[in-house]
Amino acid sequence: MMSGAPAVRVSIESSCERQVQEVSLDGLETYAPPLSMSQNLAKLAQRIDFGQSSDEDEDGLERDSREQWSKPEAEEDEGMVKFQPSLWPWDSVRNNLRSALTEMCVLHDVLSVLKDKKYMALDPVSQDPSVGKTPQVFQLLSKKKSLATAAQLLLRGAEKLTKSVVENQEQRRQRDFNSELLRLRSQWKLRKVGDKILGDLSYRSAGSLFPHHGTFEVIKNTDLDLDKKIPDDYCPLNVQIPSELEGSAYIKVSIQKQSPDIGDLGTVNLFRRQAKAKPGSQMWHLKLEAAQNVLLCKEIFAQLSREAVQIKSQIPHIVVKNQIISQPFPGLQLSISLCHSTGEKKNQRASPDKSKPDDHLYVLEHNLHQLIREFHKQTLSSVVMPHPASAPFSHKRMRMAGPMAYDKTEISALQQSEGLLEKIIKQAKHIFLRSRTARTIDSLASRIEDPQIQAHWSNINDVYESSVKVLITSQGYEQICKSIQLQLNIGVEQIRVVHRDGRVITLSHQEQELQDFLLSQMSQHQVHAVQQLAKVMGWHVLSFSNHVGLGPIESIGNASAITVASPNGEYAISVRNGPESGCKVLVQFPRSQAKELPKSDVVQDAKWTHLRGPYKEVHWGRMEGRNFVYKMELLMAALTPCP
Amino acid sequence: MEAPPVSVMPVTGGAINMMEYLLQGSVLDQSLESLLHRLRGLCDNMEPESFADHELVYLLKGQQGNPFLLRARRSLLHPPAPWHLRYLGQPEVGDKSRLALVRNCVDVSASHSLPEVLNEMGFRMDHEFVAKGQMFRKGAMKVVVSKLSRVLVPGNTENTEPLSLSYLVELSVLAPAGQDTVSEDMRSFAEQLKPLVHLEKIDPKRLM
Repeated sequence: MMSGAPAVRVSIESSCERQVQEVSLDGLETYAPPLSMSQNLAKLAQRIDFGQSSDEDEDGLERDSREQWSKPEAEEDEGMVKFQPSLWPWDSVRNNLRSALTEMCVLHDVLSVLKDKKYMALDPVSQDPSVGKTPQVFQLLSKKKSLATAAQLLLRGAEKLTKSVVENQEQRRQRDFNSELLRLRSQWKLRKVGDKILGDLSYRSAGSLFPHHGTFEVIKNTDLDLDKKIPDDYCPLNVQIPSELEGSAYIKVSIQKQSPDIGDLGTVNLFRRQAKAKPGSQMWHLKLEAAQNVLLCKEIFAQLSREAVQIKSQIPHIVVKNQIISQPFPGLQLSISLCHSTGEKKNQRASPDKSKPDDHLYVLEHNLHQLIREFHKQTLSSVVMPHPASAPFSHKRMRMAGPMAYDKTEISALQQSEGLLEKIIKQAKHIFLRSRTARTIDSLASRIEDPQIQAHWSNINDVYESSVKVLITSQGYEQICKSIQLQLNIGVEQIRVVHRDGRVITLSHQEQELQDFLLSQMSQHQVHAVQQLAKVMGWHVLSFSNHVGLGPIESIGNASAITVASPNGEYAISVRNGPESGCKVLVQFPRSQAKELPKSDVVQDAKWTHLRGPYKEVHWGRMEGRNFVYKMELLMAALTPCP
Repeated sequence: MEAPPVSVMPVTGGAINMMEYLLQGSVLDQSLESLLHRLRGLCDNMEPESFADHELVYLLKGQQGNPFLLRARRSLLHPPAPWHLRYLGQPEVGDKSRLALVRNCVDVSASHSLPEVLNEMGFRMDHEFVAKGQMFRKGAMKVVVSKLSRVLVPGNTENTEPLSLSYLVELSVLAPAGQDTVSEDMRSFAEQLKPLVHLEKIDPKRLM
């Protein structure tokens, strides 16, 4: 049958599994649903011919099952035995069905015989009454047992679920090492050296020249006990920082009165400041930030101490252990100290001088940090980059020093003249001077009620300069008597006073100078006030002097005096006011009012009695009025008769 | 008038006896961008600095064999900047394990009359070229990525043609003599630039 033609590829594919039941109008085919298992079985069973009996040589098991009914039929079936090999797998099914049919026939026969009641009768089986009711204990026990098995099943299922959840979490935590590493890398510089991951926390890439390497190592945190509960702040990543950068540090700048005992130096108390933990930041972040801060503080302190030793100043700076002491003003001591607490053992060393936390000038500490960062930025500025490219790194203008033949003064002018220490000392001096000026003005204002002193401090200040406007006024007469207005410019070591009338006075840092000056201005104010008042009241100013040369010498400033005459010329008031001697007021009366008038032969005419004559002092303390100007106004009003 | 006696002892110390530690490599034009990105990340955080320089190499031929070589360089981008005169000595023949090329180096800033002075002194210009590129710094290390171009007409720096299709990368440090940690730092930095560019010690004598 096989021809010599080349073999043809025959591909066999199953026919369409399901028959198409109908094709709808839009071309959708509906398939007949596939037959279920039982339907399939029924279809197959229909093909079985149950008329054929099974073979003799079958399994013994099936033979035993048919032994009950096959014995009487054995003789009849022998002739009808036909071995049908195609039905071999269905044989047992056929046999079981046949036996079931036989049983049904027997039952049917018995029931039909029973119906007649002639040959067979049914009797109920007697039941044991004790067996019927099972005791409640047994019921309880059986129920309990069944519930227990059910519960056990559920518990086992729940256990499996929780275990799988915990495993998932554990896996997630293990995988988190890489995500933590990614987060670490987004904020810190990391590099891989061999099989170690190292990082750099120094400021060298930002321009620092401090020789510390600042490398930290990233290690995997494997000390996790899986049996115990995982702590909340567990982090799979840990960093190992150099031992000298552990703990926290800060630079303490404080101004104190000069300590008499120089042996006290170097014992600065390590006042531990707790690092504030931002929510959501990891342990490694806090650790690295603290270590970086320690490194920066060390750099600041190293720079300050290097300058303290190298720079020559009039009063040398003392560098002891972790403290730099200098004297900005006589009697005053500025101490800059590096407070580094490792945090392992509590340093309970009680320092001899219990300085209050307010002693710490936080502004200067912040300024130190800013100054060192400025210094870093300068090393990175493009001014340093050489043009042409083969030249070494140096400042742009210093490169011109050779070709332009600069001399020493020009070169020193180019170079950075002030170091960190000098800047900080200047700033500290200014802060101290400013606070002392404020204190002086405030003490004067609280001590002296008449005249009043007001200070308006300017909000915008420089690190080296602040300014305040001081007004001396009398209460109730601010609009009239405003001639004393002082602008104080507080510098580093001096106070420059600009008066309203244009005078510029330079005061030193001595507290007493400012106080004396203000007192003298206050006394001058009173006399100026009389002058202004006279203008308002219509009195004439006969003489006015800011600095009189007569009378007792004042130790502070000079006394001022004024003489005013009433509008009709009858009375005159003379005022002499000095900072120390206080005020003295005299009134000149017309001659007609004088009681003891020397009779003279020269002055005969009656008209001369209208002239002003002798002076009489006023008991100023007993005058009515709350301040000097008010009293003066009352006096002037009293001496001006109504027309 | 007799000239005052001049001491024969050379000046030592200060900034005179500086050694230049040098590692060189090159990178093709198409890989330049990735190298620049990498350097931007590794080096100090500054804006990248471009430069364009014109270098003239002067030779003084004496009776002895080796001529004396001086390099004069000026910036084309910053014309008022002073000229830079450089003397590079012979590479130090130390142990072979020295990782960088070490040679004596003298740097001097000069005014704009430098070429005339050198000519008067007897130097003759051997060759000149234009170098353009960018420079980076990391601490004391300087990385210069430059494209060298040949000057076609002597004195005319506008008309140049590139010498090759690649950029020259040089890592150099100026340090006083005797500091070996410098070459260690240079080597670790060069490791970080692999495989973009291989910086190695190239002996100029072997090229001649």
